[in-house]
Amino acid sequence: MFEFKYLQAKTLSEAGAFVAANPDAKLLAGGMTLIPTLKQRLAQPSHLVDIGGLPELQGIEVKDGRLVLGAATRHQEVAASPVVGKALPALAYLAAQIGDPQVRNRGTIGGSVANNDPAADYPAAVLALGATIVTTRREIAADDFFQGMFSTALEEGEIIVRLSFPLPQRAAYMKFPHPASGYAMTGVFVAETKTGIRVAVTGAGPGVFRWSDAESALAKKLHPAALDALAVAADDLNEDIHATREYRANLVKVMAKRAVQKLLEN
Amino acid sequence: MTKIEITVNGARHSREVEDRTLLVDLLRDQLGLTGTHVGCDTSQCGCCTVHVNGRALKSCTMLAVQANGAEVVTIEGMAQGGKLHPVQQAFTDCHALQCGFCTPGMIMAVTALLRDNPHPSDEEIYHGLEGNLCRCTGYINIVKAVKQVAQTPR
Amino acid sequence: MTEPHAANRREDLRLITGRGRYAADWNLPGQLHACFLRSDRAHAEIVALDAGPALKCRGVVAVYTGADAIAAGYTQFPNLMTFKGRSGAEILKPARPVLAAGKVRFVGETVAMVVAESALAAQDALGAIVIEYRDLPPVVTTQDALAAGASQLHANIPGNLCFEWESGDAAAVARAFAEAAHVTRLKPITTRVAPNPMEPRACVINYDAASDSYDIYSPSQGINMLRRQFSVLTGVPEEKLRLHLHDTGGSFGQRSAVYPEYAAQMIAAKQLGRPVKWVASRSECFMSDSHGRAIDITGELALDRDGRFLAARYEFDCDMGAYLTPTGCVSHLRNPATCMTGVYRIPALYGSFRVVLTNTVPVAAYRGAGRPDIAYAVERLVDQAATELNIDRDELRRRNFIPLDAFPYKTPTMGVYEQSDFAGCLDKALKAADWNGFAPRRAAAVKRGKLRGIGMATVIEGTGAGIYPKDQIAIEFDAQGRLMVYTVSLSQGQSHETTFAAIVAQTLGVAPEAVTLRQSVQGKELIGNHTGGSRSLVGAGSVCKIAAQKLIEQARPLAAEELELEPSQLDYAAGAFRQRGGEKMIGLLDLARRHAGRNPHPLNLVAEGTVGSTFPNGCHIAEVEVDPETGVTEIVSYVAVDDCGNVINHSVVEGQIHGGVTQGAGQVFGEHAMYDRGSGQLLTGSFSDYFMPRAGFIRDIKMNEHPVPSKLNVLGAKGVGESGCTASLPTLANATLDALRPLGIQHLDMPLTPSKLWHAMQAAKPE
Repeated sequence: MFEFKYLQAKTLSEAGAFVAANPDAKLLAGGMTLIPTLKQRLAQPSHLVDIGGLPELQGIEVKDGRLVLGAATRHQEVAASPVVGKALPALAYLAAQIGDPQVRNRGTIGGSVANNDPAADYPAAVLALGATIVTTRREIAADDFFQGMFSTALEEGEIIVRLSFPLPQRAAYMKFPHPASGYAMTGVFVAETKTGIRVAVTGAGPGVFRWSDAESALAKKLHPAALDALAVAADDLNEDIHATREYRANLVKVMAKRAVQKLLEN
Repeated sequence: MTKIEITVNGARHSREVEDRTLLVDLLRDQLGLTGTHVGCDTSQCGCCTVHVNGRALKSCTMLAVQANGAEVVTIEGMAQGGKLHPVQQAFTDCHALQCGFCTPGMIMAVTALLRDNPHPSDEEIYHGLEGNLCRCTGYINIVKAVKQVAQTPR
Repeated sequence: MTEPHAANRREDLRLITGRGRYAADWNLPGQLHACFLRSDRAHAEIVALDAGPALKCRGVVAVYTGADAIAAGYTQFPNLMTFKGRSGAEILKPARPVLAAGKVRFVGETVAMVVAESALAAQDALGAIVIEYRDLPPVVTTQDALAAGASQLHANIPGNLCFEWESGDAAAVARAFAEAAHVTRLKPITTRVAPNPMEPRACVINYDAASDSYDIYSPSQGINMLRRQFSVLTGVPEEKLRLHLHDTGGSFGQRSAVYPEYAAQMIAAKQLGRPVKWVASRSECFMSDSHGRAIDITGELALDRDGRFLAARYEFDCDMGAYLTPTGCVSHLRNPATCMTGVYRIPALYGSFRVVLTNTVPVAAYRGAGRPDIAYAVERLVDQAATELNIDRDELRRRNFIPLDAFPYKTPTMGVYEQSDFAGCLDKALKAADWNGFAPRRAAAVKRGKLRGIGMATVIEGTGAGIYPKDQIAIEFDAQGRLMVYTVSLSQGQSHETTFAAIVAQTLGVAPEAVTLRQSVQGKELIGNHTGGSRSLVGAGSVCKIAAQKLIEQARPLAAEELELEPSQLDYAAGAFRQRGGEKMIGLLDLARRHAGRNPHPLNLVAEGTVGSTFPNGCHIAEVEVDPETGVTEIVSYVAVDDCGNVINHSVVEGQIHGGVTQGAGQVFGEHAMYDRGSGQLLTGSFSDYFMPRAGFIRDIKMNEHPVPSKLNVLGAKGVGESGCTASLPTLANATLDALRPLGIQHLDMPLTPSKLWHAMQAAKPE
């Protein structure tokens, strides 16, 4: 990789100030996306500011009907946490599907959500659960956060501090993994929330999206069969050497049905 | 350049490293521990797996500076007092290696898996080995080795 | 030679404790590091190349380009073609540069080499090299390469066609087809794949000015062939090339050749007077390590009204990539021809072959080297014929097997098969797989919403005949009188340190630990073949037995002298010479130790033998379940029955089958080294895009041995290293297509990905 200067942030505000003042600096938490990117020389940051160890970004707790995860919480911690397992098992399950065990020991939820890889798993949960992304500057609703491939509402120097998930009645995640990379070729998160059924799809399109037709159908009848008559338009979906867009459209429907089935069984 | 202190297989080391040095390069090139291997550049093959502060991770996807102050265990640190670790023993008992290139990383991953889950089901074993590629064995004997360790009372 | 051995291998201790020595593990004092600029386009002229800016980068010592390689005289890549083509034509050989000179012909081709004080400094400087290309249209399929008006890769190879060859009797085949009651046709292509051994290539080269010679550390499949190739390419005499070969992290045919990078390193090492080290990244490996298979096959099978095979006819368009590799052509021509008849008696046979160049990574032998390809073609045709004629797939095969009493069987093309029992393998497999009990399993799967299929393949292959006239083994006793065995073969996972030592030990009647194998040792000059084509155990391994027998005879007079008896008064058994009818005895190893320190040791010897091809064969049966919603195929059962003759080590054989079957399965269900047809860009350049089998892909393989000892070598063994691939390619394809056949799907090309299967099932749905 290109040369850079590594700094370990002592406080969150120091980190925020530094990246605001140095636009070529990048934040480092788990590094599971950033380090491979740097190894391929696809980015040339001036500095890496390591925020992975900041105490302000740690923690898993349930408070006032919400599950709150520090942004630097590792996937493995979410997957193994008895707190998450009790309050939001679908999220623990999702975290256990990310990457592989070694990746899960390093990767963080904040990093995943800030990166917004169109095939990442967490964005589906964040969007379906209607989570709140709490940053150093404000609170952003999930519906306003994800803005397309690798693009979010975060401003320069703004850092995710924690994610706050309202606890659903029930929820489930089903993922069809990409055969080579293990990312989501299609992942569907279904949640029975206080504001109704929400269905979020990752991996299939240029960014995570809510499948509103499915939400309406499931609001009438919460059963996989409610989706039978629906179709996802293939035109806007991804196509690559492993899967056509029509196939991905099919996967969206199949994974959604399976997620609903799983939700009902829990 | 950054000065780091790192404990590897129980031995303390103090080194000055370029910030962009990967942990695996520190281990292989500066500390002469060539048992940890590099098999790919997209963090998928797992040949570089080591334990850092008790957790298995891919040393090719971590900067050496991130391991400052950490306790690292590599394949060279698994046998203790001339005695093979049970996972190492199981690998040779079960013919779970052929060319041996993926083996150090595989042993480190299996050890970590069994620490978290001492009696994994078949599915849990497959899930636990998703981060490790092998081209020689077809994995069947590797899974046998994991089960041998899981079933051996300790 | 069929005693089971404990699984613990001699090679294991160092490998499980991280003390293996792979090429990248070597570091020489004062070494420099090399990094390669590679072509980022498939076909282009180099208009301008300016390395000047790179020379100014920190830590850079030198930059080399194509002109340097030409000046060094490194221009003649070795080629192992030994036979002529149609009308007696010689193969047209493309000139291959060590570093591109004037033109680039595939994405990944080496263009320049930067040498610097550190690997990072060399990589940093790559971007500073200024290069200007003039793009030319690329051709990445054989069809495009052969088309009229296609872009030409090499001026001396018109139509991108290097060689045309044929085997068999076209006229006899034509007559048979004219009379046939039924003809089955299929295009069973084999895809291009990347072998991907887990060790990326690496090489360290040191030049010693005093002796004008080189020390080379690299992965390898055997010292003789690699050293000879280095010598042919560089003109440096073999005695000036010292190869230090230790552990190789898998190869599967990919590492038997000399690669251009190594030659460029030699130039630098000599000029700069310091060792030069290079370690490839996986991305570089995808675009520069040889690829495998890639044969467009068209096949036709003619049958009479009773389902007897009358004739078979094939066309093979072999995609060799942009340049010829030493093993590519030979493997993809001779090997399919040898086994074109499969395990069947087919009176008339004909195959025509074309060797085609494309703007892609050069193709070489890859586990099976053409034999999985022909096995796939034959077995897909047979399955297809069975379907079309409504004859049971096992019955159609059985009806046409070469019978037990027909061996040695001279096939209509090239091969002479040794004694085999195809029906025996089939029967064993049918029983082990409960073939007859499949219907209820299929019905039960339907209730679970899955499509279940069962498929088989009965296959045979000819193992490598070897390119050297004989294999030699040396037995030597070291200063302490310990027994060392020297071979010039080199295991890359095949466990020779265990099996060869066991062969010697067992012949001598001593403990295996008393014998140590040393492979491809610099300085031990022996004639012999590299490890490839599944021939090491039958070749060099047989000579191990011969050497041990020779040792006993060589030791007899020494033992007699020691015991003050006549040699004729001694019997040898269980590791010792004993006086017949008396008490005196001396152990062989004890005798050797008593003479330790004598130089040369009186028991040192060289033995030799010549073994050609053997013919391992077998029947594999697999069951799969396809999920119609997602197109995902799960392998639910896999039975392997293999005749690899006498088995020396069951655990090793099992491991080879496991690995081979898995590689074949990978190719059937997802591996594919893909190029973009328009731009020639490699689309699968990393493990993020190239599917690799992981744990759980195949959960279990039920192994069965059906040994018919070979009469072609003293071990009675048949090679087994590649059998798994040869059988699994057609077995799994046949099983999956069986699952889909009720929907009316006849044939699908590999890889049988979820997306492809789903689309096929959608298309097959009635309107």
